[in-house]
Amino acid sequence: MQNGTQHAFRKRFLVGGIIAVFAMLAGTWSALQLRERASHVDELAATRFPVARDISAFELVDHRGEPFTNTSLQGVWSFLFFGYTHCPDVCPTTLSVLNSVAQRLGSDASNVRFIFISIDPERDTPEQLARFVSYFNGDFVGVTGKPEAIERLTKQLGVLYMRVASADNPGSYLMDHTAGVFLVDPDAKYHAVFTPPLEAEKIVTNFDKIREDYQ
Amino acid sequence: MNVIATLLGGWLFMVISGSALAAPTMDVTDGWVREAPPTSRVLAGYMQISNLTDADLTVTGITSPDFDSAELHRTVVEEGVARMLPVPELTIPAAGSVLLEPGGLHLMLFDPVRPLLQGDSVTLVVHRSDDICVTLSVPVLRSTGDESVHHHH
Repeated sequence: MQNGTQHAFRKRFLVGGIIAVFAMLAGTWSALQLRERASHVDELAATRFPVARDISAFELVDHRGEPFTNTSLQGVWSFLFFGYTHCPDVCPTTLSVLNSVAQRLGSDASNVRFIFISIDPERDTPEQLARFVSYFNGDFVGVTGKPEAIERLTKQLGVLYMRVASADNPGSYLMDHTAGVFLVDPDAKYHAVFTPPLEAEKIVTNFDKIREDYQ
Repeated sequence: MNVIATLLGGWLFMVISGSALAAPTMDVTDGWVREAPPTSRVLAGYMQISNLTDADLTVTGITSPDFDSAELHRTVVEEGVARMLPVPELTIPAAGSVLLEPGGLHLMLFDPVRPLLQGDSVTLVVHRSDDICVTLSVPVLRSTGDESVHHHH
């Protein structure tokens, strides 16, 4: 009797052990699968929306003093970056990366626009923007406008920004701001966003894939 | 031959200006200052600081006679928003190194005393808590946009 119980116990123990080993293997397998999938997402470097989002009307002005509205976004792919011309690290770094993207696209870049939109309109006049964007690339577009008008666009894309007083240089200030690069498709719809760290090569690879799927 | 002479000269320069110790204790490499767009009076400097000793070293600041002032900052991206945080001092781990690179830790250089364009050079002085200073000369370069890529791989 006792032997029987022991035997049953052992059997159960053995079965339990086999189940545990299988569970561990299954767990490891799914963990590896997940890891593979996660790195795949990381490789993409872009967040794409299942359905591109409409951008409602806004009225801004470009670095030449011409109106820049949501209809200006139609017909070509647009890379949008929000920043300010007094920005010491993130904005020059990002615009240099975008210039590298433009160089890599080569003749393809004529169907693509790169737009720098100021979130510091108090200091960023069209003239100031003209000098700033053309430093990085003669084809880059600078955009500014009234604070409310800028907000109308930034709210739709979830772009955040806020003024931060400089402790060491009284009177001057820095801006905290969203550092992503927003991709708007030729239908003038918000299609995808690239989040830092931004690398030109990855952006181009992802952009090619996105364009391919779009057609 | 010229290369060797230059390297030797640079090394001697660092050793003499750095300290009277026989062996160098710190190495600063890949230094450069990014040429600024014409709208900006603030430039950013980048470099790799290596600690050649077995104990942590503390960098209390980096100054430059070519600018009115300089500060160490770190760009951090939190929930997609980039912010700049002042860095009062920098610990260089024993036998390790710290990288100042675009979009990360960087030196902010305010108000150049003369216009600085690609091809110019800038003098930087790395100050340490042990009162040893390392002086170096770094080039002003126009950014290609691909600098930080090398360090991510």
